[in-house]
Amino acid sequence: MTMSQADRLTAIVLAALGLAMAVGGYTMDRLEIRQIHPASIPGLVPMILGVLMVICAALLFRDGARAASEESSSVFASGSWMRLGLTAALTLAYAIVLLGWLPYFWATVVFVFAFAALFSWPAEGSTRARLICLGSAALLALAASWGTTALFSEVFLVRLP
Amino acid sequence: MSALNDLATAFMGLMTPTLLFHAAWATLLGIIVGSLPGLTATMGVALMTTLTYSLDSTAAILVLLCMYVGAIYGGSRSAILLNIPGTPASAATSLDGYPLAKKGRAGYAMGLATAGSMLGTLVGIVLLVMIAPPLAEAALNFGSFEFFWLAVFGIVISGQLTADTTPVKGYIAGILGLMVAMIGSEGIHAHVRFNLGVGDLNAGIGLIPAMVGAFGFAEVLNAMWSKAGTLATAKDKSDRVLPRLVDLWRYKVTTVRSGIIGTLVGIIPGVGEDIGAWASYVAARRSSKKPEEYGHGSYEGLTAAETGNSAVVPGSLIPAITLAVPGSASSAVLIAALFIHGIRPGPLIMIEQPQFISSVAAMLVLATLFMGLYGLSLTRAFVQVLRVPYAYLMPIVFVLCVVGTYALSQRVFDIYVMLFFGIVGFLLRQMRYPMAPLVLGIILGDLLDKSLRRGLTLSDGDLTPFFTRPVSLAFVLIIALSILANVSWVRARVSRLISSGKSSDA
Repeated sequence: MTMSQADRLTAIVLAALGLAMAVGGYTMDRLEIRQIHPASIPGLVPMILGVLMVICAALLFRDGARAASEESSSVFASGSWMRLGLTAALTLAYAIVLLGWLPYFWATVVFVFAFAALFSWPAEGSTRARLICLGSAALLALAASWGTTALFSEVFLVRLP
Repeated sequence: MSALNDLATAFMGLMTPTLLFHAAWATLLGIIVGSLPGLTATMGVALMTTLTYSLDSTAAILVLLCMYVGAIYGGSRSAILLNIPGTPASAATSLDGYPLAKKGRAGYAMGLATAGSMLGTLVGIVLLVMIAPPLAEAALNFGSFEFFWLAVFGIVISGQLTADTTPVKGYIAGILGLMVAMIGSEGIHAHVRFNLGVGDLNAGIGLIPAMVGAFGFAEVLNAMWSKAGTLATAKDKSDRVLPRLVDLWRYKVTTVRSGIIGTLVGIIPGVGEDIGAWASYVAARRSSKKPEEYGHGSYEGLTAAETGNSAVVPGSLIPAITLAVPGSASSAVLIAALFIHGIRPGPLIMIEQPQFISSVAAMLVLATLFMGLYGLSLTRAFVQVLRVPYAYLMPIVFVLCVVGTYALSQRVFDIYVMLFFGIVGFLLRQMRYPMAPLVLGIILGDLLDKSLRRGLTLSDGDLTPFFTRPVSLAFVLIIALSILANVSWVRARVSRLISSGKSSDA
């Protein structure tokens, strides 16, 4: 995807967001029952921000449309989708699923081990290299989990999830 | 003279074994965080805020400042050795630092960067002590009208100066931040806005979870997405780290000028260290006797960049302490941390805690001393730090993002906020939206909202005072001019007018 395409797409999303904010501000309770000053209604600033966002989105769309005719730089092109996908899957699984399902210590051990082993896995290495990789990941996982558990629950007295 | 006495007294107050220990480890950790590409100063300060909330306020603020100073300096390590700035602040450093490393002068480049950073921070500290008290005093006369424009000024200038491609993206980031600040109970009538039926949103979005997400989780995603750099492996032929006095003396004008530029850039809301470094670098090249050496391993260019970015640290604290308006993304986190520790930054700081500015200056001096000590003695050890693979580093950073966010208020909801801002931050960064205006928007949203509505209530709905009071008028003019300067047809018309004026003169 080129930057100009991404900009035009984002501009549409942002315009919708701005519109929603402006409408939300306009329809917001004006607290007449509390006899507040009409200039201090809670929806005033959201309305202004919504309108400003729509204007900026229109400018962004115009810039994107102009750049479409010229050579535009690529977006999401200089990295690895595979690594990003794995990172997102592992981090979200840890924060959303594992932490509620396992005690903090074990959830962290599983996450750090999986992350370190997966990203340092010697795909074309010998069995020995693979064992070293798994061993290092396990050591790191235990150390990281023990260290953060001790720091937060013993020193800061936090009840970990 | 009394300022110097206050500074000396505050410095002596820090000379306890506990505080020295805190300063020592926090500066070292800051340098390590800064030197690792993917870990930024803001991320370090945000994570450290979650780790220091149980310390007493002096120790906690000392740790955060040492982390900030150390991380901004630490970015020069990877900029010199990897050609990848450890933090965005060191982007200009890599222009001359990496060519020097390739020539086998990595040790000396790092020594010079250390000296430049120390001198830059010291220039900034002097200006902090000189400017902050009168600024706080002047800000006491600010009313709702002035504070409203101050908030607008921060968003506009930050959006304009930090945007990579077009200022519109900077403005959008700022407005997004302001929109986030609109969520939850508002500050005048306690009416809950945009909670979308989620009870956890009634209190609004916490700055720290948002920052940890935008600068921590987003960086984890970014680091794993992009490719790592290669270490400059040329052997250091000079075998010397300590900068020669003759070199430091030769660049004295560059150092002072870069220190002043860096501090002034730091004072501008939400602009940050990277702009400070670039502005100093460009100014130094313009006035250099050897501009052709810039970009090919110039000692002067390296000194200018490092002095400039380090001077932003004390500079950014000037508006943060006196106006509660952050000069950089890291100082935005510091403001949140100050509130956590019961210190209320703003114009009343000189009345409520008159010694606070001296204390901050003394803490910065201590951090600078430790930075110099580590920078000159552990230069080669830091090279080893850069060899830590992302596969081992990033899961630990993410665990700290999660557990640190949770520890602050012990709400699982804050972890979801952190995740949301991490993903949004990653996407925005990929599409070249600057993060500083977003952060500034979140922190200034409340001030802008309350000031506008309070001002309108005071003037009974009349907008005139927003444009007629002297300080307000000055802000309006600056904002209008800076926006107009970016409108292409205005620029074209002005340049046409100038060129026609020149030709008629001729």
